[in-house]
Amino acid sequence: MEIFAQQIFNGLTVGSVYSLVALGLTLVYGILHIPNFAHGALYMMGGYITLTMMTKFGLYYWIAIMISMVIVGLMGVLMERLIFYPLRDAPPIQDKIAAIGILLFLEAFAQFVWGADYQTMPTPYGQVVSVMGLTFTMQRLLIIISTVVVMILLFLFLKKTFIGSAIIAMSQNREGAHLVGINTNKMAMLTFMISGALAAIAASLSSPINLVFPGMGHLVILKAFVIIIIGGMGSIPGAIIGGYILGFAESLGATYISNDYKDIFAFILLVLILTFKPTGLFAKGGHS
Amino acid sequence: MKKLKRLFAAGLLLIMMVSLAACAGSQTSQSTGGQKESSSKSEEGTVNIGFSGPLSGPAALYGERTLNGIKMAAEEINNNGGFEINGKTYKLNIVPLDDKYLPNETASNAKRLLQEYKTPIIFTLHSGGVMALQVFNETEKFLIGAYTSEPDVTDAGNSLTIGIPPRYDGYVEPFTDYAMKRFGKKLAALPPSTQYGKDWAKTLLPQWEKKGGKVVYHSSIDFSKETDFFTIVTNALKEKPDVLFIGGASEPTAKVAKQARELGFKGGFIIMDQAKLDFMEKITGSYDVLEGSVGVLPLVKSNDPGAPAFAENYRAKFKDEPSSESGLNYIATYIFVEAMKAAKTVDDAEAIRKHMQDGLDNLPKDKRVYEIPSIGDDGRLEVKRKIAVVEDGQIVLKVVD
Repeated sequence: MEIFAQQIFNGLTVGSVYSLVALGLTLVYGILHIPNFAHGALYMMGGYITLTMMTKFGLYYWIAIMISMVIVGLMGVLMERLIFYPLRDAPPIQDKIAAIGILLFLEAFAQFVWGADYQTMPTPYGQVVSVMGLTFTMQRLLIIISTVVVMILLFLFLKKTFIGSAIIAMSQNREGAHLVGINTNKMAMLTFMISGALAAIAASLSSPINLVFPGMGHLVILKAFVIIIIGGMGSIPGAIIGGYILGFAESLGATYISNDYKDIFAFILLVLILTFKPTGLFAKGGHS
Repeated sequence: MKKLKRLFAAGLLLIMMVSLAACAGSQTSQSTGGQKESSSKSEEGTVNIGFSGPLSGPAALYGERTLNGIKMAAEEINNNGGFEINGKTYKLNIVPLDDKYLPNETASNAKRLLQEYKTPIIFTLHSGGVMALQVFNETEKFLIGAYTSEPDVTDAGNSLTIGIPPRYDGYVEPFTDYAMKRFGKKLAALPPSTQYGKDWAKTLLPQWEKKGGKVVYHSSIDFSKETDFFTIVTNALKEKPDVLFIGGASEPTAKVAKQARELGFKGGFIIMDQAKLDFMEKITGSYDVLEGSVGVLPLVKSNDPGAPAFAENYRAKFKDEPSSESGLNYIATYIFVEAMKAAKTVDDAEAIRKHMQDGLDNLPKDKRVYEIPSIGDDGRLEVKRKIAVVEDGQIVLKVVD
């Protein structure tokens, strides 16, 4: 029972990180209509920028995260302006190739600037908390709580504000949104900004439990793809639920089935869900 | 207007990158050793030494550290005027190529090195790459500087392979004895899911059982996929092991150890030779976390004659801590040069191989970063094996033979 509870907690921790990354990916999918392969690289940049802010400028953890969110958000905007916007009328394959190009560029860039070595992100929340035989660390609790807060804020923003509704309208139908007077360019930039900020916060939260290195984006990006397919491409609740499903599948699968096969377990889940709901759990209707 | 905006955006991107680059202190010094053209008295020649290793991707750091060792030796030799054979002075030129840790790339790199640079020696850093080169190195007559502790590459009977680091299987027995005696008989194995990790486990686990121990948990960690190690460590600790077997690159391995302590693990660690205790300590913050670990001796703690000077020079030159991969390849480069001198040739690989023992004997004392008395018939350098254990928060040296 203790093990079960501990693994639920572990699943919740990784699930939170996955969800945050998948959320950014799914938002941008609404605009590009292809998965943004460079999202993992934005995640990596987020980790490095937070780390640099903390170590070089001695900023406090949360302030470093804020700055990192802004910078990576702006990088997302630049990506949209310089690369994806000019390609908006091109066939989708060109978007895909461009995204892969950005991924390779950013990874090489990070290795050039920060070096290939693993770096540790210090955290002011290193304490270990044990309650009834369960081990929490403050950092992990923080990941779980912050993720929920971010999700609620995002939800309120998208559902309760005018700009949020405009973003959703645009992801449903870009031309239609344009026709009713939404400035689609601005909305696209805003979406990329939010997506980048989400990647940055996910990386900044999870880096203290792992490491910061140029390839760190690969740890999460493949899983984020699986999640948005499980949840339904472009669906926001799908990305959230999908992230937690994958987190639990991994931790419980590793415990009760086999650690060596836990990835297979996640993919079997994917196959099953797609068999019964070919468009994913929360497929949204009617986009072009 | 639109153009202007785009220009502005591009400018912004540029500024951001420059400022990022500035605040992180770029640390790339990629000059290959000794291409200085100087016309002095006698004839001069250049010996090209090939290098094929990972210089990009996840293993880039490992590749860089190895290359640093080779480059440092080459630069020292060149700055001292090169070396002389039959009245002709030679300088070394290191030609590094990136193989992304892929054996097929190693093979095509080697072909290129041979055709373009006529390299008598090619260093490579992974068993797959070495095996790919062994297919044609005897016919094309070049030596492989094989930086891998995998025993198979020197057991294969290839006459032109020089194994540089000690075979890993020699560590298994001392590690097992120490950990079992100090902590107990229950072992949980969490090696990395690489071929190397699997091979290590295949050697260690039977040894552990042979000594009367029990393997209570066995799985592997995929460092290229895992965001968090809590799940797997929780499962391993569920079986109440006395000793954990871990490994991989130093930094992630240290994270695994740290998370095991966070989850309440009190026993010891057996650490695969790839991970270095001193690099792990940087991640964990202190040796207390690593109490009871047994692993290979960090170069900086070595008392071999050349080690302290090497460590100091390395730090000054690369602003990084030296490790065994840089140290061993540094000394290997010197041994190759001494062997060339003894063989009186810079391009006959077979003759160089024959004079490797002379190379070892002639090695200047201050270059002996490691004690290497001899080379085996299989072509492996017989480095004196030294292991380290962490006792009371200190690294303690143990010698085994």
